This record gives sequence, structure tokens and C-alpha cells, in this order.
Amino acid sequence: MRVKALETLLSEKGLVDSSAIDTVIELYETKIGPRNGAAVVARAWSDPDYKARLLENGTKAIAELGFEGVQGEDMMVVENTDSVHNVVVCTLCSCYPWPTLGLPPVWYKSAPYRSKVVRDPRGVLSEFGVELPDSVEIRVWDSNAELRYLVLPNRPAGTDDLSEAELAELVTRDSMIGTALVAAPAS
Amino acid sequence: MPLLTRDIVGGLVAGGASCRMDAEVAPKFKAGDKVATLNINPASHTRLPRYVRGKHGTITHDHGVFAFPDSSAESGTHSDPQHVYSVRFEGEELWGKDANANACLYIDMFDSYLEAAES
Repeated sequence: MRVKALETLLSEKGLVDSSAIDTVIELYETKIGPRNGAAVVARAWSDPDYKARLLENGTKAIAELGFEGVQGEDMMVVENTDSVHNVVVCTLCSCYPWPTLGLPPVWYKSAPYRSKVVRDPRGVLSEFGVELPDSVEIRVWDSNAELRYLVLPNRPAGTDDLSEAELAELVTRDSMIGTALVAAPAS
Repeated sequence: MPLLTRDIVGGLVAGGASCRMDAEVAPKFKAGDKVATLNINPASHTRLPRYVRGKHGTITHDHGVFAFPDSSAESGTHSDPQHVYSVRFEGEELWGKDANANACLYIDMFDSYLEAAES
């Protein structure tokens, strides 16, 4: 309701053309979303040289696949391993890497997620069904300023024979935020 | 004439709007340096959240030079370029004995928020 009122006001004052808003919505519904990030992850899992470039300069390596632009100008990719798990938040508002993940889910923007995950990341991960032993270091990334973060999830076991396209199918949005692990394919 | 029209959406979305600045500014710190955040409480805009004020951490990355939001918010234009770092804080430093086991926090910090600390 509030959004509709704002849109009406901006249109009536002649500041925005309502067809421009439709174009933005269409872009983020059909072209820009987490399948882009999944393609980046699958490439990194398949090509060690690409993975090295991705971890060295996330912005450039992601642009190699054609994903760049607003809210992805300065990207850092953080890698999950058997001993490190990364999870991303923006405690300021809802900063999120749009070119690779699209627009953020509602829970990512909610005060409960933003306030709790910095203080009790293991508790939040548990709420998402992710239980990690204390031997795994949890790194919370607060993207409250210039960088936007993409998690490179751990590649599940039993996926050695999968093609890059098949690997991309396994990768979920939440696994690239860090609130999920990538599950092995059902055998 | 509207400010936002359909014709410019594609360019805006594809081009982005980084606050990175092409300015020669020397970094005050390098990866590995121990730092402490200032305990400032400005009434104006800041990207130094309360939960990391007055805390000790370690620089892990230097991301280069960006406009300083605290200054830009006052001037209305990209201002006061300086280095932005990833700074790592251990859970116990931020949350005391209530911290999770083996957990830490990384956050983007500007030179203006940091001072050198004993290693």
C-alpha cells in the first residue's frame, strides 16, 4: 500500500514514468536473479583457474560471465570450506549483490535476521536447519558499506561426474547468502 | 520530463554507481595490522554501527579508495576519499562471554573509523 502510494505520487508529480518501473520489475523477475550466482558457483567448482580469479577479484571474474552493474560494482566472494562457513548480512539496511542474486528475500531485510545473525550466527543457522560443529569457524560478513558479498558454497560430495549446468541446478539462493548448504543430488 | 524513464533503466541497472573514487590517498593500514574502532556517536549519518564501536580487530583486506559516507551525507556529493578495509573482530570481543564458539565478524571499515592498536 505504502509502495503503491509512493509510486502514484512520483508518477503524478511527473518524476518517474510508470513504464520505467514495469521495466525494472521485469528485469529482476526474468533476467537478474540467483540463477546468475549459481552459474558463477558452478563455473568456480568446474574450473580451478576461474575459482582463483573469482576469489582474487570477484567483481572482474563475475563480469566475465556477463553479470555486473548496480549493487554489484564492488564484489567479494568468500569461500566455504570444511573448516570455514561464511554468512552475509547487512545490519544497516538490506545491501545485497543484485547482479548475482537479484533482489533480497523479505527475511534478509527483516530486523530479527539482521540483529541476531551478528550476535548468534549459530542460532540463526540452526533456525535455517544448518547445524555446524564448533570446529567450523563461522564468519559473518556485515555488508553495511561498499562491498557486496557472495558466498561460494562447499561443493557437495558425489558430484564429480556432473556437468557445469547440472552443478548450477544444485545451487540455491540461500546457499550463496550462507544460510543453507548445497545438498548432494538425490541418487 | 520524468527523471526516470524506460529508456534509461537498462543503462542504470547495467552501469551501477560505485562510490569508488579515483584518488591518490595513502592507506593508514595494511592487512595484518591490529586496529581499534573509535567510539563516536554522531547525530548524522555513519557506517560505523554501534556494535563495533570501541572494539579491537585486525585488518584483513584493503579494498581501495571510496567516498566517505559520513562526509558525503553532509556535502551531498562524493567526499573525503579514503581506504576501505575488511576488518575482522572475534566474537568474544564483540559479545563477551555470550559469544558463539569459534565465530567472528567481518565488516567494511573506513580509515576515519580506525586507530592503530597494540598487537
